[in-house]
Amino acid sequence: MNSLEVNCAGETLQLFAARAAFWAKRKTLLIADTHLGKASAFRHAGIAVPEQVTDADLQRLSNLLTFTQAARLVVLGDLFHARAGKSEATIKSVHIWREQHLELQIDLLIGNHDRATGDLPNDWNIRATEEFREPPLLFAHEAREAEDAFGLFGHVHPAIFCDRMRLPCFHFWNDGGMLPAFGSFTGTHPIKPAAGDTVFAVRGDEIADVSNLLRCR
Amino acid sequence: MPKGSHDKDLNWWFAQNRWTPFPHQLETWAAIHAGKSGLVHAPTGVGKTYSVWIPALQEWLRENPVTTKHAPPIQMLWITPLRALANDTASSMLKPVRDLNLPWTVELRTGDTSSSIRARQRRQFPSALVTTPESLSLLLSYPETREKIATLKTVVIDEWHELLGSKRGVQTELCLARLRRWFPALRTWGLSATLGNLEQAMSVLLGSHYDPHKAVLISADLKKQVEVHTLIPPNVQRLPWAGHVGLTVLPQVIECLAAANTSLLFTNTRSQAEIWFRALQEAAPQWSNDIAIHHGSVDRELREQTENRLREGKIRCVVCTSSLDLGVDYPPVEQVIQVGAPKGVARMLQRAGRSGHRMGAVSRIYCVPAHALELVEFAAVREAIAASQLEARVPLDRPLDVLVQHLVTVALGGGFHEDELRSEVQRAYAYRNLNDEEWQWCMDFVTRGGQALNAYPHFRRVVKTNGLYNVPEKQLAYFHRMSIGTITSDSSVAIRFVRGASLGTTEESFVARLKRGDRFSFAGRQLEFVRMRDMVAYVRASKKSSSIVPQWMGGKMPLSSRLAAGVRRKLSEARAGNFPGIEMEAAKPILEIQDLWSRIPETNELLIERIEMRDGTHHFLFPFAGRLVHEGLSALLAFRVARVQPSSISVTVNDYGFGLLARNPVQLTVEQWRTVLAPENLVDDLLACLNSAELARRQFREIARIAGLVFQGFPGRGKSVRQIQASSGLFYDVFLRYDPGNLLLQQAQREVLERQLEVSRMKQALEMISHLNITVVPTRKLTPLSFPLWAAFVQASVSSEKWTDRINRMAAQLEAAASRKVAK
Repeated sequence: MNSLEVNCAGETLQLFAARAAFWAKRKTLLIADTHLGKASAFRHAGIAVPEQVTDADLQRLSNLLTFTQAARLVVLGDLFHARAGKSEATIKSVHIWREQHLELQIDLLIGNHDRATGDLPNDWNIRATEEFREPPLLFAHEAREAEDAFGLFGHVHPAIFCDRMRLPCFHFWNDGGMLPAFGSFTGTHPIKPAAGDTVFAVRGDEIADVSNLLRCR
Repeated sequence: MPKGSHDKDLNWWFAQNRWTPFPHQLETWAAIHAGKSGLVHAPTGVGKTYSVWIPALQEWLRENPVTTKHAPPIQMLWITPLRALANDTASSMLKPVRDLNLPWTVELRTGDTSSSIRARQRRQFPSALVTTPESLSLLLSYPETREKIATLKTVVIDEWHELLGSKRGVQTELCLARLRRWFPALRTWGLSATLGNLEQAMSVLLGSHYDPHKAVLISADLKKQVEVHTLIPPNVQRLPWAGHVGLTVLPQVIECLAAANTSLLFTNTRSQAEIWFRALQEAAPQWSNDIAIHHGSVDRELREQTENRLREGKIRCVVCTSSLDLGVDYPPVEQVIQVGAPKGVARMLQRAGRSGHRMGAVSRIYCVPAHALELVEFAAVREAIAASQLEARVPLDRPLDVLVQHLVTVALGGGFHEDELRSEVQRAYAYRNLNDEEWQWCMDFVTRGGQALNAYPHFRRVVKTNGLYNVPEKQLAYFHRMSIGTITSDSSVAIRFVRGASLGTTEESFVARLKRGDRFSFAGRQLEFVRMRDMVAYVRASKKSSSIVPQWMGGKMPLSSRLAAGVRRKLSEARAGNFPGIEMEAAKPILEIQDLWSRIPETNELLIERIEMRDGTHHFLFPFAGRLVHEGLSALLAFRVARVQPSSISVTVNDYGFGLLARNPVQLTVEQWRTVLAPENLVDDLLACLNSAELARRQFREIARIAGLVFQGFPGRGKSVRQIQASSGLFYDVFLRYDPGNLLLQQAQREVLERQLEVSRMKQALEMISHLNITVVPTRKLTPLSFPLWAAFVQASVSSEKWTDRINRMAAQLEAAASRKVAK
C-alpha cells in the first residue's frame, strides 16, 4: 500500500493513496466523508448507480484497518449521505462490516450530512461528537480556527489540478489539514492552496507530494 | 353577427397584399390538400411559412363554411428549433387569421412560457401551437395529451436542416413516430434550407416506414440571386499570413457599411466578433451608437434589443456570430459581410440569405479574407455556389441516451406496452436498425438500472404493472419533466456587474483563468474582473482597454470536405498557371511564393514540407481534409512516426494541414511515409495514442444528462436535489468499474470516435492519401502554407507577448525574402 509521511505539530501521520491517514502513535485510522449509501439514495431517486460502490468502499476500509492494525477509526464527518440512502442493502452491508471489526472503536465527528440523516443503529456502537481534542491534534468536520492545536478536517472533498487531471488530495497548511473524501462515489472541490501549503495528490494507487509542482506554475 | 358564410377567403387575402403565390407554394398547397406529407426546401424569405400554413386555413374554411366565433380545436403543431423564431413565426401565422377575421388561435409554448399558461394550454390547446422539440417531448409526458390533440391534422418542423444530424433532431423523430402512430392520417411537413442530401433529409423526417406515394419533396425553383463580392486587401503582400482577423481591410469594410442602411457582419468565433466590434467602434466613432454586437453569450435582453432595432432598420451594423445564422428574417438587412473563411458552402449561402428580404432584392455578401489562403477558399465557395454543390447533413444513428429519455417520457405519458413501443420507435429513422440487445439494454436501464441482476437493488424508475410500463413515483415524474431535453453546453458562467446588471455568459474555462483586476472585453465593453461566486463572474466597467478577449469553444467550425475539395482544385489550377477571378488574382503573389519555395500540390498529390529549424525537425503535411480530421491524423502520425524513429513529437493543425515537430532529427523515406499513413489499424492505433478514456469521459457529460443521470440545477429546490447530484465524470468512473457493459459507455466512445475525431472522415482521408503521390520537399524557409502551422507551435511554447514578437519578426523576414524574389 503506497503511503507517505507528514509531520503535524510534531505528530507523524501516514497518508495512504487509499485516501486515509494513520496516526500510528494512537493506533488511529482517520478518514473523512465516506458518504455511505449515496448510491442507494440515487437509486431511490431513479438514477442507476451500482450498489457495489458501498461494498468496495467498505472493503477498502477493511484492508486499511488490517494493514495498519488500527484500534480506532475516526471519521471526520458525513458518514452517511442521506436519509434515503440508509436503505436495507446499505445498512446490511455496514452491519456485516461492523461485525468483522467488533473491537474497533469508532468516533464520528458530526457533519452536515449526518445531521440530516438521523440516528445510527445503536449496535454499531459509534460515538458521535461535534469536535474533540487530543493534543496537539483537534478533529472536526468543518475547518475552524483552533488556538494551540493542529486541526484535521473533512467536508471540502479537496482536489487539485495536475497535468490537466483533477485529483483528490490531502491539503495541509501551517496549523491544520484536510483529508480527501473517502467515498468513491463522491465529487471533489478544487482548492487553491496558499504559498507554503503542502498538497499530496492521489491518483489510483499512487500518492505524491505535488506542492513544488504547484509553486512552479 | 348573423350566421353566414365567410365573405373573404385566402385568395382575397393574397390579392389584398398584392402577392402572387410562388409555384412552390401552390405545389405544397395541392400536396397538403391531397393528404400528403413532405419536405419543402427553399432559400429563406420566399414564403416557406405560408406554403404550409395557408392550406391549413383553406382546408378549415372549406370544411367550416359557416362562420363561428369558436376557436377550432388544435389543427396544427409547429415545431421550431429556436425559441427566438417562435415569436416571429406566430405573428406571421396570425396575419391572415386577423385579416380574415378567423376564430383561430395561435399560441406559443416554449421554455419561456409561464407555467400557468402552459397548464391552461394543456386543458385547451389553441388551434395552432408553436413549440420546440423539448416542449413537444414534454407534452408527450402527460397522459391526457393524446386525447386533447386528437383533432391534429398537420405537424410542421421548421428549419429541419438545423435539427437534422443532432440529438434534438432524433428526439423530434421519436416524437413524430409517436404522433403518427396515434394519428395515422397526420401529415408531416418539414421546411428546410437547401442541403446536399435532401432525399435523406425527407426520409429522416417521415420515418423509416413512409409511403413514397404519399410524400413529396418540393423545391422552390426560384433562383434567388446571390451576389458574392470579396474585399481584396490593398496590398496582399502585406496580408498577415496567420492568426489575424482580417482587420487590414477595415477601411473597405467601413466604406461598405456606409453604403447601406443596415448590414450584418458575421465572424466565425465570438472572440473575432468582440475584436471586430471594438475595431469598428474605434475606427468609426460617429457610429458608436449605431453598431451593436450579438452572439450567444450576450445577455438575452441585450440581444433582444439589438434584434428589435434590426427589425425596425434602426441600426447600421450588427457584428454577430452564428447566433444570427438562423431563421428570423430582418427585411431591413441589405447586405452581409463575412469575416474569415466561410468553412462551408451551405453556411455561406445561409449567411448571404440573411440579406435582401425585400421583394425583388438580391442577397449580397461581402467576403473579408483574414489571410491569403482564405482568398482561395472564397474562390472555391463562389464556384461551388454557382454549381449548387452543397454539403450533406448526416443523420445520427441510434443514440441510446435519447432513447432512454424517450422511454421514460412515454412511460410517464400514460404508459406503454413493450412490443408496441418498440415497433413505434423503430419507425423513427434513427432507430430503424435498433437490435434486440440494444432495446433490451435500454428497457433494463429504465426498469432495473442496468443489466447486471444484483447491481442496482431497490432501483425504480419505470415500473411494469399489468403489462403496462409507467412511472408511479410522483417525484421521479417531476425530475424527469424538469430534465427533458438534449442540449448541453460547457458549463457557463454568468457575467454580471457588481451592481447587478447582467451582461451574458461565457465559458467557465475562460473565467477560471482570470485573476482579480484582470481586464477583458466582452459584449463590446471593457471590463475588469472582480470576483467569481456561484457561477457568476462579477465585473466592473474599466476605462483602460485590454487585448484579452474570451475564447469560446463553440464556433470552431471545420472546413467541410466539399469545400476542401474545391480548395484543392483551385490550387491545382493555380499550379497550371490559371488564376481566374479577383480572389485568385489577389492570391497569385502568395501562391507564386509557395511554388517557388516549395510547390503547390496537385490534386493527386500529398505535399509534405520538411524544414530543419532551431527547435528541431518540422514536417508539414497538407491533406486539405479539415481541422477535425487533421487533429486525429496528426495524433496518429505522431504516434506512428515515433514508432519508426523514436522521438518526442508535438503537433499543430489547421484546416489545410498539420505540422509535426520532432525535437531530434527525423527523416522518413516516401515508403516510410506510406506506412505511417496507411489506413489499416486506424481505430486501434487511435485508441492507443489518444487519451481516449479521458475524451470519452468528457463526452459522457452530455450522455449522462440526456439519459437522466445528471440533473442540471433546478431553481428553488435546495438540498433535496443536491443530495442526488453528482458529476457525469463520477458516473463514468463508477460504471467503468462496476458495470463495464453499460451501453452508454460504449456510446460515449463511439461518439468520441465519430463526432470528435471523425473516424470515418479520417479513414476516407487516409484511403484517399493511399492513392496520392507523396512529394517530400525540403525547404529552407517557411512557406505560405506552413507559416500558420509553425506560428501555432510558437504560440504553444512561449508566453503571449513573446509570441507576437516572434511571429511578426519571422513574418517580416519572409516578406522581405518574398519581395526580393518577386522583384527578380
